[in-house]
Amino acid sequence: MNIQSESILQKRIKRFKSIKRGYYSLLALGFLYMLALLGPLWINNKPLILKYDDKYYFPAIVDLLDFIPGINYPLYESKTFDQNSSRIEVDFRKLKKEINKQNNGNFILMPIYPYHPHEDLKDQLDEEYDDLNNNNVYDFGEPFIDENNSGGWSENHPPTLPAGFKGRHLLGTDNTGRDVFVRIVDGYKISITFAIIVTILSYIIGIAIGAFLGYYAGKIDLFGVRLMEVFSAIPFLFTLMILASFMQPSVFLLATLSVFLKGWIGITYYIRGEFFREKAKDYVSAAVSMGTSPFNVMFKHILPNSLTPIITWAPFAIIGDIFTLVSLDFLGYGLKPPTSSWGNLLKQAAENLDNWHMLIFPVIVLTITIFMITFISEAIREAFDPKIYSRLR
Amino acid sequence: MIPTFFGTTLLVFVILQSVPSGPFEQAVMQIKMAKMQSGEGQTSSSSDDKGSIELSDRVLEKLRMQFGLDKPVWKRYLIWLGVLKKEIKFKETQIGVPFRETIKVLGQGKYVPISLQRWILVYEEDNGDLSILGSQVGTDFKWKTDEYQILPDAYDIENWENINWTLKKKIDENNVSIVSSKRQGVFTGYLGHSSKHNEDVGKLIWDRLHISAFLGITGFILSYLVCIPLGIMKALKHGSRFDVISSGIVFIGYSIPAYAFGVLMLLIFSTTTVFDAPILPSRGWRPEDWEQLTLIGKMIGQLRHAFLPTVCYMLGGFAGLTMLMKNSLMENLSQDYVRTAFAKGLSEKRVVVYHAVRNSLIPLATGIGGLIGVFLASSYLIEKVFGIDGIGMLTFKAIGSRDYGIIMGFIVIGTFIRLLGNLISDLCYALIDPRIRFK
Repeated sequence: MNIQSESILQKRIKRFKSIKRGYYSLLALGFLYMLALLGPLWINNKPLILKYDDKYYFPAIVDLLDFIPGINYPLYESKTFDQNSSRIEVDFRKLKKEINKQNNGNFILMPIYPYHPHEDLKDQLDEEYDDLNNNNVYDFGEPFIDENNSGGWSENHPPTLPAGFKGRHLLGTDNTGRDVFVRIVDGYKISITFAIIVTILSYIIGIAIGAFLGYYAGKIDLFGVRLMEVFSAIPFLFTLMILASFMQPSVFLLATLSVFLKGWIGITYYIRGEFFREKAKDYVSAAVSMGTSPFNVMFKHILPNSLTPIITWAPFAIIGDIFTLVSLDFLGYGLKPPTSSWGNLLKQAAENLDNWHMLIFPVIVLTITIFMITFISEAIREAFDPKIYSRLR
Repeated sequence: MIPTFFGTTLLVFVILQSVPSGPFEQAVMQIKMAKMQSGEGQTSSSSDDKGSIELSDRVLEKLRMQFGLDKPVWKRYLIWLGVLKKEIKFKETQIGVPFRETIKVLGQGKYVPISLQRWILVYEEDNGDLSILGSQVGTDFKWKTDEYQILPDAYDIENWENINWTLKKKIDENNVSIVSSKRQGVFTGYLGHSSKHNEDVGKLIWDRLHISAFLGITGFILSYLVCIPLGIMKALKHGSRFDVISSGIVFIGYSIPAYAFGVLMLLIFSTTTVFDAPILPSRGWRPEDWEQLTLIGKMIGQLRHAFLPTVCYMLGGFAGLTMLMKNSLMENLSQDYVRTAFAKGLSEKRVVVYHAVRNSLIPLATGIGGLIGVFLASSYLIEKVFGIDGIGMLTFKAIGSRDYGIIMGFIVIGTFIRLLGNLISDLCYALIDPRIRFK
């Protein structure tokens, strides 16, 4: 009989999986993040596949890969697609209607939810009608979809209320006519991306510095700790705002600033403490006596043994980072509009308090996300560092 | 603690001094704008290039001196601290020609504002040394009271004395630039000057301190009053339905940022979305007709305005405190000394209250100092939501208008409060935990 022994890590992962709400929260958040990353494929105003005059186009896929340097989203001019419009860029949703009407071998496949987070829909919120005489204006007698059951064609102005699954805009539109649902999904992507970047960067820096301080100790350590005290005494968000106010903030820039000002400190403290504890143990002396280089001792021997605080700290760091970005955007010093980060949504909602749907949905989504991360953090702590309280009564 | 204070202020000072578009650049811009509007740029230019509105080096140098930028950063920091003397007034003058220095504006006289002045003379001695002399003070016009006399003409003055002006630079044969300097910085209790409000930062902050302190301290006390009993209850009834439900509520509270909760509350209570009429006021610290209100009216008005912000302040540390209290008590209840206490035959109430709870409060004591700092220092989010003109709002606006005086003043106070908070925590620690003694 072959009995495979489990490593501690395997045991811990098993224990983590057995805590259902944490495990499923992680799966759900991960899945949703994947969906949000693939957003351009299912929430976009550009078609996935377009066949026009025997030529194939894949605008949505180009849009998805736009973040890679070298790939730029090309300009699809409206005259290329025989669209008479004052705008230079083609309106694919309109093009779809035209293609469906003409039925001459052209083909278009739009994403499921054909709106873009930054897209201003001010003049496209009226009830849909069939423009029989191509004059771009609704004329009496043209067929239309009666969305509000008023019996007649009605014009809509932003913000429009949530229309549910039957209407075009699931959660309505905001005061400039942008789709709220699409913006929330995009905001989720931005928030999590920011949090992941900050966490990874601060882990790299924090582990390097913490390992160095903990391993060498002495005067370097004293200096390092003083430096950390100085950094932890600055009002973080305030200084971040000052720095961001004269830069052109992007997700990566804000992430770097927030790592520099605060991110690295917490993890450095933890790692430093762990290294202090671990380096006194016999296996370290053994490794050193065998002539292992300090770098290898630090990162091949000690680090794997001090991972527990790193992992249990991660969800809290992520929550903190999400809050940082939301606060920063809320105060107007973060990502600039029309970026659809949650802070921008909240800011916009706070300025337009009469439109409840602009506020409620972002707040609910934000709360649920944080709530689920809390579940994950609880489960991780339970798996890595179980505490059993025994009581008499 | 003290090195930390210096380190932190130095760090922020250097950041502020090295970023572009500070007060100096703003001043340059303003002068350029003024020049452009008055058309001076065009007339003086021979060609049509845009360089005509560039300022001359002389003006730039003067401006730089005015903002103290002619010195290295470390010197500027020491000046800001008040260790080195700060150049307050600056004058280019001719040797042997006296000029009037305005010391103080007394106020509006009968026709014109009247100020207290004195004559200053740069005097070249026989051996070529320059000395700067001043006269007695006097007013430029007749002041209401007889406290001051009118400053006589410069040529009638016989008693010249040495004054606190010093020679900065000799420009040429006849002209010199002189400065008046004074020790004026954080150590002398001077926090800086706000360029936007044109007032002392200390006064601006002091005027708003009661608002931020009221909200912060009320929220702080209330959250401890609620969280400690709640935490104890949760620990004693661990696993019960009460525990689970309250945990759920606490974690939802943790998941909403306090200011977002504030906006939500505004939506519910201050708009007509939920109720037919707004229940609570949406903006401001006090009712606008504060002066006309009776005492009871003032109290009610203040309560109505402060209610939502205080709730938001509470929410900030609510979850952390409750769970800390609960976990800490749980841990203590599983300790041997509790078992011993029970074995002695003490009642459960006595064991919990006198033995376990007292020990469980130790981790909370560490939070006290930190929380004071948080409540005072990071209030701009909540103050912005509720439109309260407190310290947070003042400093928040200062970032937008690049009012470095206010920013640095706030950093000083914020850091100071935070460090003081740490000290308080340590003291509370010793107070509660008899094992810790500072010796």
